[in-house]
Amino acid sequence: MADKKKMSVAEMLAAARRADSKQGGLGDSATDGNADAPAEPSVPAAAAEAAPAKRPAAPAKPAVKPGGARPSVADMLAMARAGKAAAPAAEAAPAAPAEKPAPKPKPAAAVKSAAPAVAEAAPARDTASILAAARKKDKPGPISKAEAAAASTSATAVLEKPKVVAPPMPTKPAYAKPKPAPAVKAAPVEARRDFFGSAMAAGFWLLGGVSALWTLLTVKFMFPNVLREPPSKFKVGFPDAFPAGQVQEKFKAQYGIWVVNTEYNGQPQIFALKSVCTHLGCTPNWLEAEQKYKCPCHGSGFYKDGINFEGPAPRPLERYAIRIADDGQIEVDKSRTFQEEMGAWEDPASFIPV
Amino acid sequence: MTHGLTDAQFLNKVASFLGPYYIVLAVMNGLAALYLWRTGLGRTWLRLPLVGIPVTSAFLCLALGVFYAMLAPAAASGNGAWMPSMPEAWREAINRGTGPVIYSVGTVALLAVLFAFRRFFVQPAVAWIIWNAMLLFLGLSMTDRDFYEIVAKPDNVPIVMLVLLLAFFTWVATYRAVINDERAARGEPPLESLDNDKVLVWPDLVYIELICMIGLTAFLIFWAIALPAPLEEPASSVKTPNPSKAPWYFLGLQEMLVYFDPWMAGVVLPSLIVVGLMAIPYIDFNKAGNGYYTINQRKFAYLVFQFGFLEMWITLIVLGTLLRGPNWNFFGPYEYWDAHKVEALNNVNLSQYFWQGLLGRSLPTAPSGSSFGTQLSYILLREAPGILLTLGYFIALPPIMAITVFRRYFQRMGLIRFMLMANLLLFMASLPIKMVLRWVFNLKYIIAIPEYFLNF
Repeated sequence: MADKKKMSVAEMLAAARRADSKQGGLGDSATDGNADAPAEPSVPAAAAEAAPAKRPAAPAKPAVKPGGARPSVADMLAMARAGKAAAPAAEAAPAAPAEKPAPKPKPAAAVKSAAPAVAEAAPARDTASILAAARKKDKPGPISKAEAAAASTSATAVLEKPKVVAPPMPTKPAYAKPKPAPAVKAAPVEARRDFFGSAMAAGFWLLGGVSALWTLLTVKFMFPNVLREPPSKFKVGFPDAFPAGQVQEKFKAQYGIWVVNTEYNGQPQIFALKSVCTHLGCTPNWLEAEQKYKCPCHGSGFYKDGINFEGPAPRPLERYAIRIADDGQIEVDKSRTFQEEMGAWEDPASFIPV
Repeated sequence: MTHGLTDAQFLNKVASFLGPYYIVLAVMNGLAALYLWRTGLGRTWLRLPLVGIPVTSAFLCLALGVFYAMLAPAAASGNGAWMPSMPEAWREAINRGTGPVIYSVGTVALLAVLFAFRRFFVQPAVAWIIWNAMLLFLGLSMTDRDFYEIVAKPDNVPIVMLVLLLAFFTWVATYRAVINDERAARGEPPLESLDNDKVLVWPDLVYIELICMIGLTAFLIFWAIALPAPLEEPASSVKTPNPSKAPWYFLGLQEMLVYFDPWMAGVVLPSLIVVGLMAIPYIDFNKAGNGYYTINQRKFAYLVFQFGFLEMWITLIVLGTLLRGPNWNFFGPYEYWDAHKVEALNNVNLSQYFWQGLLGRSLPTAPSGSSFGTQLSYILLREAPGILLTLGYFIALPPIMAITVFRRYFQRMGLIRFMLMANLLLFMASLPIKMVLRWVFNLKYIIAIPEYFLNF
């Protein structure tokens, strides 16, 4: 029953420990073979043996390079490497069998638990062996439970193929036994679901409502109650204030218009020109001396009647609606524009015949 | 800026700048002489006949430095008679010579000459002389009030720096390219491959960057204090300053807007510039020139880019700064900005040229009150010559290019890439073509459909 299931961590540890105690003797002979791989975590003696075994290897190297009282870093590394040379063979072999018990086996995991033990057994060491010991750990620092378990199980695997002996399951304590499912009544669950359901629904309704309100208010924001613009309709004075041939500039600053009394197509008329260049929207200037409107941005020029003749402006200036109000004054309506190229200057609303 | 100053006050103001300016030039030449003398670079040009002193490059630099050192006190005197300045006749000649046609054709010709004889112009001695001539030209022109108004305006100082910096960096790149091309002709590797020492990011590069950062910050602080940004009156939608100039880096765009419809020059062409620059790696099939300067190995790419950058962007910035005045009229660099200068720019559309000029009849106009379809067909008939011309330019020209001048490119690039390149080239060429047509024939638009805001 138990061995069919996956083993828990505790079970794995227990199994590993049992296996260790059985195969301890064998481990010695194995470690003697490869001096650098003391793979016996529970037997410090083996590790202690392994460590001295390495020590003669370290001084052996400087002999090759005479004259050096202290070995250089390169030498130390070379020593360490020499010491380590045998290790991979030993480590690689057990790696494969170790796969079975460990959920995530690592080839070098076998050494992991060995290193601390080695350090305990022989605290005074030379650089070479410390480096060697350090290099054996593929991941220094704290290890997780799973890694520890894997290390210990694979440590046994170094010795021989592991026989996974499933320990008899201890009888479950009373508190661990499955309790009979409490007789849950259907009604409270339904009630709770109802309660949460309705609260949730209310929340979403509220959210939706608030969002809708925000949207509406945003739309409303686009249409403010107060419009800080001059009125689109305004009076500019009586017609006799605009003598023939004059371009009245005094409304430009406030309203953006010129009131012009000139001929268009041979017909004398008063009209209101919009002071916005038809090229890119700069404000042209009326040049009295040259009798033309001239844009300072790209040099477009317009005749007195607003027809474009120089520069890049593609079409004439636009006219605003104009009429004689009931009191006899001229009233300009900026809400309507008249474009010459669309033939709109023929519209009687665009001028006052003089 | 100099409004309300008498001539004497103005000259005093300029003198306070020009004195140190000439001293800087003198020191610059003195340092160059020192460098040439210590390194033994340069050469002996001739031997003075009597005393037998060799005239070396270092000696000439020193002489130039002494010349500037002598100019400095005269310039700092603030006395109009003493201050070195451009002769009146020269100024007049330059004013007359900077009309749009002479300016644009002249800059193209100048770049062509610089390119054709680049082997001569990149020689350090020649380049040094040109460099000194540019700086001397600036110094001599500063005493002119109208020139000073333009150049010393805080907005325009970056443009003066741009011209000088651009000249320097273009020289560096061309100099190295010429050396590399000569090495390549001899079968040697380019200069850059000799100098391939690995440099560590930390500390070498990071230190350089840190020093540059500090230096640049100090320079910006100095600039901000020395040349405060101009404060102008509050903006008003019904008042546009005259002239109204774009930020200096957009002056090329503003110049383009003079010749094209806003959506063309403001939207289509700028987008095409960006898209075209991004498309270069995909269009370019020439693998040479990677990691080193060269001209001969990628002549076409070099010429197209330098024309687009130097001619279509930089010279237009200079034109917009120096030569455009009130009402966006052309003014010489030493000419008074007269807002009432009259220039006849009576522009005519191609359709008017065709129907009224060539055929001697009125423009085809739809009878009033006709339906939309009729109106549209009348408009299309009216603009037929321009539409045909434009379609021919963009559709017929690429195949013709493919079988004539660009035959090899077409074979290497394939249809799609070639068409892309050809059209980008044609769009780039459309700007100078349009400019010349405007200046020479007063042509406004080739296609003019103001009814639907479609002009080309």
